[in-house]
Amino acid sequence: MLSKILEVFARPDFPEKLREHVVLSLVALLVAVAIAMPVALLIRNTRLGAAIAINIGNVGRAVPSLAILALALPLLGIGFASALVALTALAIPPILINASTGLREVSKDVIDAARGMGLSGGQILSRIQLPIAAPVIFAGIRTSAVQTVASATLATFIGAGGLGDLIVEGLQRRGPEILLAGAISVAILAILTEVGFGALERAFTPKGLKITQKRDT
Amino acid sequence: MSNLALLVQDVLEEPKLIDWEWLRENFWEDIVPAFQGHIFLSFVSVAIALLIALPVGVISSRYRKAYPPVTFVTGILYSIPSLALFAILISIPGVAIGPAPVIIALVAYSLLILIRNTVAGIDSVPPETIDAARGMGLTNRQILFRVELPLALPIIVAGIRIATVTIIGIATIGAYINGGGLGTLIFDGINRQFPTMIIAGAVLATAMAIAADLLLLGLERYLRPWARARRT
Amino acid sequence: MIEFRQVSKTYPGSDNPVVTDLSFEVLEGEICVLVGPSGCGKTTTMRMVNRLIEITEGEILIDGEPNTAISGTQLRRKIGYAIQQIGLFPHRTIADNIGTVPHLLGWDKGRIRDRVDDLLELVGLSPGEYRDRYPAELSGGQQQRVGVARALAADPPIMLMDEPFGAVDPITRERLQDEFLRIQEDIKKTIVFVTHDIDEAIKMGNKIAILKQGGVLAQYDTPENILSRPDSEFVSSFVGADRVLKRLSLTRVGEMDLEQADGGTEGLPRISDRMTARAALSELLGSGQSSAVVEMEGENKLLTFEAIEALTSTAEQSA
Repeated sequence: MLSKILEVFARPDFPEKLREHVVLSLVALLVAVAIAMPVALLIRNTRLGAAIAINIGNVGRAVPSLAILALALPLLGIGFASALVALTALAIPPILINASTGLREVSKDVIDAARGMGLSGGQILSRIQLPIAAPVIFAGIRTSAVQTVASATLATFIGAGGLGDLIVEGLQRRGPEILLAGAISVAILAILTEVGFGALERAFTPKGLKITQKRDT
Repeated sequence: MSNLALLVQDVLEEPKLIDWEWLRENFWEDIVPAFQGHIFLSFVSVAIALLIALPVGVISSRYRKAYPPVTFVTGILYSIPSLALFAILISIPGVAIGPAPVIIALVAYSLLILIRNTVAGIDSVPPETIDAARGMGLTNRQILFRVELPLALPIIVAGIRIATVTIIGIATIGAYINGGGLGTLIFDGINRQFPTMIIAGAVLATAMAIAADLLLLGLERYLRPWARARRT
Repeated sequence: MIEFRQVSKTYPGSDNPVVTDLSFEVLEGEICVLVGPSGCGKTTTMRMVNRLIEITEGEILIDGEPNTAISGTQLRRKIGYAIQQIGLFPHRTIADNIGTVPHLLGWDKGRIRDRVDDLLELVGLSPGEYRDRYPAELSGGQQQRVGVARALAADPPIMLMDEPFGAVDPITRERLQDEFLRIQEDIKKTIVFVTHDIDEAIKMGNKIAILKQGGVLAQYDTPENILSRPDSEFVSSFVGADRVLKRLSLTRVGEMDLEQADGGTEGLPRISDRMTARAALSELLGSGQSSAVVEMEGENKLLTFEAIEALTSTAEQSA
C-alpha cells in the first residue's frame, strides 16, 4: 500500500495539483490580509467600528466553508477565480477579528503615556500599537492560513483543482492509494502551514512581551 | 471576460437562479430530511465530543503533564483538513461511508477546543475560592461539581459554541461520503448543475451555523452576568 | 512659569464644567500640587497643560507664551509626563523606554545612552543591571522609578506627575517621595503634581491648589498657610480635623527656637533634631515627661510642650 501511495506522488500531475493548492491558498490569504489589515487599522480607535468589525468577523467565522464555495458556483462560475473569491472571503474573518481586538487591547495607559510624551498618532501606531498587537495579529493570520489550506481542499468541487482532486478521484475510482495520497499530502501541508506560521508568530512577538506572557501563565 | 461581467450576465440571463417552484414541491422530500440529518449529525457529534472532552479536560487540569500531549494529538487532528480526514477514515477497513466516519471526524475536530476551554475554564477559578471551599469542608468531588465546573461554565460554553459552529460547517462536507445533512443538497445541486439546490443547502447551512452561534453566544452572556471589562 | 488664566473645560453635550475659571500661577522651580476629592478636575487640569485635553475657555501660558503656540506633539516633547499606571512600553527595554523622548528629539545614540545611565543611577537603579531588562521583570516600585526617569529623560523644564507614586504600597511610596524630593533639590524642575492624598500634598508641595467639585479653586497657597488659615469650610474639612498636628509635621525640631538645657537632663527622653515637631510631640506624650533633650549645634537644648505650642500659635512659620 505504501509503495502505491508513493507512486501517486510520483505522478506527473501531482506537483501541479500541489502548486494549484498552494497558490490558491497563498493568494487568498494575501488578499485577505490586504483587505482586513487596513480595515482593522482604520477602526482601531472607534468603538462602533470595532464592534461592527468584530461582529462581521464572528458571523463570518460561523459560515460553513463549503457553503461559500458552493455559492460561488452559480454566481461566479467554475474555476480558479471563483474559488479564489470564496476563499478570500473565508480568510478575512479570523484576521479581522484578531487584528481589531489586538490593536484595541493595547493598554490604554501605555498609549496615554506615549501620547503624553509627545509621540504623534502615526508613531504611536507604528512603534507602540502594532508591535504590541503583533502576536495577536499573527495568531489570526496563522488561524486563517490553516483554515484556508483546509478549505482549498474543497475547491475541487467547483473545478478549481488542488489536492482535493486526488481525494475525489480516489473516492470515485475506488483507488484507496490515490485517496490516501491526497489526504496525507493535504494533512501534511496543513500541519506545515500551522508550524510555519507558528514560527512566524513567535518571530514577531517582541521579547518584552514573551516575558509578560510567561509571567501571566 | 471578467467574473463580474459573467456574474451580471448570469443574473440577467438566468432569472431562475432560484427555482421557487422546485423548492415548494420538494420541501418535505429533500429539504427537510437534509435539515434533520444535519441536526442529527451536529447534535450527536457535539454530545459525544463533550462526553470525551469534559473528563479529559478535568483530568488535564489536574495533572498538567498530561496536557501537552493531549493538546498535541488533538491539535494534529484539528489541523487535518476535513475532506482528508474523512478520506483517511473510510480507508480504514470496516469503516463504511455514511454518517459514522463523519461523526468520528466531527468529534475529533472539536476535541481540541473543548478540552482547551475546559482547562482554561477551570484555571480561571480563583484559587482563593477553592481554598475557601476546602476550608468549609467540601470534598474534592464536591468542589469540582459545585464550585469549579459552575464557575468554569462560561468559558466552557464559549468552547462549545466554537465547536458547534465548526461541526455544523464541516458536517456539510460529510454529505460527500454519504453522511447526510444539508451538504446533500449542495453536492446534488453541483452534480445536477441545479443552482437552486446549491443555494438552498448553502443558505440553510449558513443560517443554522449562525443561529447556533447567536444562541450559544446568548447563553454564554447569560452565564456571565458580571460585565467583562474587556469590552473597550 | 506656568500660568492659568481663567481656564475652563466643559465637555460637549454636558452642562456642567469639569474645570471652572481657574486662575493661578506655578512659579519656576516649584512643585505645585493639585489636590481635591474625586471629580474635582485635578487630573483634567494637569492634562490641559500639555494639551492632552484641550481648554474650552481661557488660556494656559508657559513662560509667557500660550501653550497653543506650537503643536501638541511638539509641546509634549518638552514636558515630562509621569502617570500613576506608569505605562511603560512592555515591548521595549528599560533603556529604550527611558530614551523615548531623546530619541524623538534626535539626540545621538551615545548621548542617549549616557543620559539613560545617569537617570537610572539618579532613581536608584543600577544601570548595568536594569538597562536591558523588560518592564515585566521589574517590581511595581522599580517600574515607578523608571517612569520618573523616563519623564526626566529629555531634561524638560516642566514636569506633569499624576499620582506617580500611587501604584505601590505605602512604605515604598514614602521612600519614593523622599527620594524624589531629594532629586528635586538638585534639578529644581517646575512641577505640576496631582494627588488625592492631602498628606502627600503637604509633604511634596511648595504650593497647594485645593480644588472642589467642578474644578473650582478653593484655595491656592503654601501648605503652612492652608493648614493654619484655611479659607473655607470646605478646605478645613478637606485638610482634616487634625490640621494643627499636620502643621507640626512641616517643621523639624532642628529648626525650632529652643532654650538651653541647663543640667537635670537625666531621665528625659532624647530626640533627634531631624525629627518633625509632630513626631516629637508624639514622643513627649508617650514618655510621660514634659520635656525632652535635643542635641543641636553641639549644645543640649530643651524641647518642651510650650515650645511646640508656640509653633502652632504663630501664623508665620517656615515650612
